[in-house]
Amino acid sequence: MIAVHQLSKKYNQTEVLNIESLDIPKGQSFGLVGNNGAGKTTLFSLLLDLIHPTTGHIKNNNIIVSESEDWKPHTSAFIDESFLIGYLTAEEYFYFIGELRGVTKTDVDALLTEFSSFFHEEILNQKKYLRDFSKGNQKKVGIIASFLGNPEVIILDEPFANLDPTTQIRLKAILKEQAAKRGITVLISSHDLMHVTEVCERIVVLEKGKIVNDTMTSESTLQELESYFGG
Amino acid sequence: MVRKLLSLEWKQFKRSPNFQKGLAIKIILILAVVYFAVSFLFLGVGAFFIIEDAFPDQDPITVVNNYLIYWFLFDMFYRFFMQQMPVLNVKPFMVLPIKREKLIHFVLGKTAFSVFNFLPQFFFLPFSIVLLFQGYSPLLVIGWYLAMLFFTLCVNFLNFLINKNNTFFYIIATLLLGGIALQIYQIVDFTVYGGMFFNKIYEIGYGFLIPLLALILLYRINYTIIRKGFYLDEEIRKKTKAVSSQDMSFLNRFGDVAPFLKNDIKLIIRNARPKQVLLMSFLFLFYGLIFFTQDIYRDMPAVLVFASVFVTGGFLMTFGQLVPSWDSEYYKMMMSQNIPYRLYLKSKWILMIVGCLVSLVLSIPYLYFGMDIFLMIAAGAAFNVGLNSFITLLGGVLNRVPVKLNEKAKAFSNTQGFNPTQLIIAIPKMVGPMLIFYIPYKFINFEAGIFALALSGIIGLVFYKPILNKIEEVYQKTKYKTIAAYDEKN
Repeated sequence: MIAVHQLSKKYNQTEVLNIESLDIPKGQSFGLVGNNGAGKTTLFSLLLDLIHPTTGHIKNNNIIVSESEDWKPHTSAFIDESFLIGYLTAEEYFYFIGELRGVTKTDVDALLTEFSSFFHEEILNQKKYLRDFSKGNQKKVGIIASFLGNPEVIILDEPFANLDPTTQIRLKAILKEQAAKRGITVLISSHDLMHVTEVCERIVVLEKGKIVNDTMTSESTLQELESYFGG
Repeated sequence: MVRKLLSLEWKQFKRSPNFQKGLAIKIILILAVVYFAVSFLFLGVGAFFIIEDAFPDQDPITVVNNYLIYWFLFDMFYRFFMQQMPVLNVKPFMVLPIKREKLIHFVLGKTAFSVFNFLPQFFFLPFSIVLLFQGYSPLLVIGWYLAMLFFTLCVNFLNFLINKNNTFFYIIATLLLGGIALQIYQIVDFTVYGGMFFNKIYEIGYGFLIPLLALILLYRINYTIIRKGFYLDEEIRKKTKAVSSQDMSFLNRFGDVAPFLKNDIKLIIRNARPKQVLLMSFLFLFYGLIFFTQDIYRDMPAVLVFASVFVTGGFLMTFGQLVPSWDSEYYKMMMSQNIPYRLYLKSKWILMIVGCLVSLVLSIPYLYFGMDIFLMIAAGAAFNVGLNSFITLLGGVLNRVPVKLNEKAKAFSNTQGFNPTQLIIAIPKMVGPMLIFYIPYKFINFEAGIFALALSGIIGLVFYKPILNKIEEVYQKTKYKTIAAYDEKN
């Protein structure tokens, strides 16, 4: 589904990302871990064509993302709060994204009811704009909005950060369910090793822009990762 | 302590992305300041002799005093729009062992050193020196100069007050409007009272005590207001009013542009900055009054065309020059979402046109100045819709300034519309319609000029598809630059 080919990104002379090759098959739940500055967000930004690669390219469903926009209909993402429109209410935002992705209002409503336990009655009918929501609640809105319109690829940057424990647990269940149900390719980055190992089938460790570890998740993965980052 | 704060200020200034990027802008600004300073200086030196020539039977100082009220009113007016209010990011200081009083005094004191306070001195000081050389009583002249200095500072702090506090803004605005109304209907002639007041201040010598007291009072009020607001929950947590979702499904008739239109309308009505633009564009409607009421312009129709374009083009230009900056807060989302750029642009374009047409309807009262004038405005509107809208959209993409939607703008704080490319883009907006009108006017007649102007707009409308496509290409090409620029928060 996603194919990275000799991708690198330089700012001035410093190289922040250099990936020889990386293939993510359809339906895989893929986790990206690494310390600050490892290049996680850079990779996701390149994947969404928000920055231009210095060399190489990324293919999303055989479409080179920096050359054509045809990957947009089947891809959705939530990177940070700048993906929200601050002056809309949560409902308006969902409907807006829905309209962009060709989802009718009733279908949006159906999806929202499906996730009502995730929202914990803090999102809908709040009578306030998204800019006045707390960070955690903003995140909930962004994550659920990225499920609209049956995307085949979902990209979430640090989805667990800022969420309360209850929501973190629910989010893990939702992500697993999504990945299993419709064969969606989910890409997640996280600092929380426990969460990623629980949710993702495959984990890639980035360090200073390079892939240093690429494993399928097993019982021992968490321990391996912990000793890697601890030592 | 003050030294540390000053060094922080200096770093903030030097390291702001605007400063590092826009050196050209800074140079233009400095040139502007120098220009005003020199003009004031010449005026200050020359005023005495000019007035002496023009009003041989009056004392120049009296003449100046008679008009001072306008000077200070104007001072206040342009400060309100131009002067940047000092912002000290208080949050990091709140938990540090620094006395709040000190910080507040620092913030307030800083404003006293604003360029806006120095510029008037370039007039008052040389004028006072000339007075001294002309043999006026040194005591009176020095007293008068001090009074002027204190009045300038009063305006400074008054401006601070009305910027920070809505109640004061409304009080002052009401007083001013009331005063202007009384003046226009000749119920009270403030010019006379103003003249009497300032002359009295000059004559009694110690009159500067009045503005000094006012200054101290204003400073205290400012101080108290900031002191009260110096808490996180009041400064940072703004009160949120209950809002409800709006459907706006009546816009669905616009088809695939509808989602964007709905969003853009919400953008305008729910954010402080676009509301400000809306107000500004309303003021543009009155722009024509300056020109149409003056007889000298009657024989210079090209200048009138210039004015006409601005009458209907206010919203179109002020809103349009910040496309796509309006969406800078969530531009990354827009760029990764399933969005055809065309529709995004088209929605903005439709809004601009609607704004222009509404302005045209509102400018019907200009018929009072005759059919010719109104035809000119209508032709100007056609130009705005058909050509100016595209030029403005093109200028917008070169702007690349992140806009904080829910914060009001101050000139100089964000140098929007003030970069060299923007200036170059502005030239066809201003000169274009004048030329399009003037050439046929000169060689054929007035009607031909009007016709040519209207035609230019209609041609633009006919070819709107290819033009919009071209603009879309430019937007696409600069996409990465734009995203990166919006990422930099000032």
